[in-house]
Amino acid sequence: MQSHRAPPLSVAGVDPAVVGLDDLTARGAALLVFVSEECPTSAMALRALGPLCAGWQAAGLTAAAIFEDPLDVALRVARRLGWTGRVLSQPPPYQASRAYGLLSVPTAVLVGRGQAIEGTVVGWDQPGLAGLIRQAGQMLGAGHAASAAAAVVLAQPPVIEPLLKPGCSSKAALDPAVAAAISRPAAEDELEEMFERGWTDGLPVVPPTVERVAAMLGSADGSQTLGPVPPSMGEATLERVAACAVLAGCQPEYFPVVVAASRAVLDPAFNLHGQAVTTQPAGQLIVVNGPVRRAIGLNSGMGALGPGFRANLTIGRAVRLLASLCGGAMPGGLDRATLGQMGKIGCCLAEDEEASPWEPLHAELGFDPSQSVVTVIGCDAPQNISDHRSRTPEDLAYVLAWAAASSWSTNWWPLADPSVFVICPEHAAMFRDAGWSKRRLREFMFDAVHRPAGELRRGETTPQVQSAEADTEIPKWASPDAIVLLVAGGEAGRYSAVLGPCTGMGSRIVSREVQPG
Amino acid sequence: MTVQHGTGQYVSPFDDRVRPPEPLAPRPAAIGGRTVGLLDISKNRGAAFLDEIESDLEAAGARTIRWTKEIFSKPATLALIDEIAGRADLVVEALAD
Repeated sequence: MQSHRAPPLSVAGVDPAVVGLDDLTARGAALLVFVSEECPTSAMALRALGPLCAGWQAAGLTAAAIFEDPLDVALRVARRLGWTGRVLSQPPPYQASRAYGLLSVPTAVLVGRGQAIEGTVVGWDQPGLAGLIRQAGQMLGAGHAASAAAAVVLAQPPVIEPLLKPGCSSKAALDPAVAAAISRPAAEDELEEMFERGWTDGLPVVPPTVERVAAMLGSADGSQTLGPVPPSMGEATLERVAACAVLAGCQPEYFPVVVAASRAVLDPAFNLHGQAVTTQPAGQLIVVNGPVRRAIGLNSGMGALGPGFRANLTIGRAVRLLASLCGGAMPGGLDRATLGQMGKIGCCLAEDEEASPWEPLHAELGFDPSQSVVTVIGCDAPQNISDHRSRTPEDLAYVLAWAAASSWSTNWWPLADPSVFVICPEHAAMFRDAGWSKRRLREFMFDAVHRPAGELRRGETTPQVQSAEADTEIPKWASPDAIVLLVAGGEAGRYSAVLGPCTGMGSRIVSREVQPG
Repeated sequence: MTVQHGTGQYVSPFDDRVRPPEPLAPRPAAIGGRTVGLLDISKNRGAAFLDEIESDLEAAGARTIRWTKEIFSKPATLALIDEIAGRADLVVEALAD
């Protein structure tokens, strides 16, 4: 086939922002796939070829999808369709499409060494594309001095019916008057657009306009980074953290708490990586202590773990959005939770330090009580513990502790990771009146719950249970320190709760002081 | 990055930088005489799986070296990755039970 030189190319990309033909052919050859968002055949081609690009790249063939759409649209569509090659964009008047003489999309153009066009395939044409890829393999093989003419084997486009499907008109080939007549109106439903962009946890969000994000940032430097967010290691610039806070519905005065919580979950000791991708339902409990609770209207009273309070709900949600959007832990994607739990939408609890007979959590962890501190703990969903009948602290402590006996799994004893007990004020008052310290309650609960190993040998159990003598008593927790005690909830009602642990993650409890905004 | 919408702009919560895919290591034609690293990630019964793989590999003439990750839920340390890369030609990793 007669080849001719490929026209120069200058299209938009991410890092670098402008991409030319030199860049794309640097590894040997390039497969330019011109596409557009609205074209179903383009989508079909991207979905079919997308998974192959990484392998082609390794062999020297760089595949690039060149969209006739804005870059953010291109990135979103490419992500959805599983395209693993380069993603590029050209604005109107679509100079690249014009230069390559495009009439329709998708059109695949193979550019070889010396930047010659070696072949072109229009529409979804499986046999044609297979031939183009074989041609690329032969070209790359011929380039290896040691193995002249030995083709490099490249993965072939999958056989998808129909084998031939016409594409759609290239925007470069549209008459401008016709294009204007069929274009969609600019003003669409903004909230629906957020879903369209994937900027959501499944609930409606507040659109992160530059104005709202700037207000959220206040005087903070948006380019400052808190580090990579696992599992996909997106960089948590403060601008992105602020975008997540806006999406979640935060007010700007919550932002210092969101930042502190984000810093805490990104501490490698917390192992957000493991929690983000696990099949277990792990959520991230955010506990707030100190004066900031009252300053921003965090609820530590009635319904402290439930709905109704903007600060609690949106701060927890902002941190989850950071993990799922910036960190890539979208449920069903890299988040592999079998069932998940509602706390994964967000779970932010303020401790009722005023109703507590004990030192607050942050003081226990070494902070001064006057400091405002965020503490994060990997947790399961809350389980209610009703007790309106206990008349002694011993009875109440026994009931609370045994409620957690089936935490994680019925016969998984002992638990090394923290179980969090949220003690309601009426229960807390009973311990206060009896003069029980936190340490005494914790040790009583630890001592109360144990069973002989022989009774724990059904189904999932621990190596410790398996290897122990049948009559050896196994405690539910590895130590009293695995029991975390907090106080929160309404004045009336004797309902406490336990949040079981996130196990197997080697996750530590991590705290960060809230820095003034 | 900021993205255009209507007459205004949004700030994207995504990190849209595209990372080039890591090239695959060359695949050997045969495993005889090769050193195969067997990585146990510390998941239940991963070692039992690797025992079987090890027998098959040794029968095919490969040498094996066993490694164990400290905990399955965290990425392997760079030191461990470097050590495996330095001593093994191939790696088999045992994942979940």
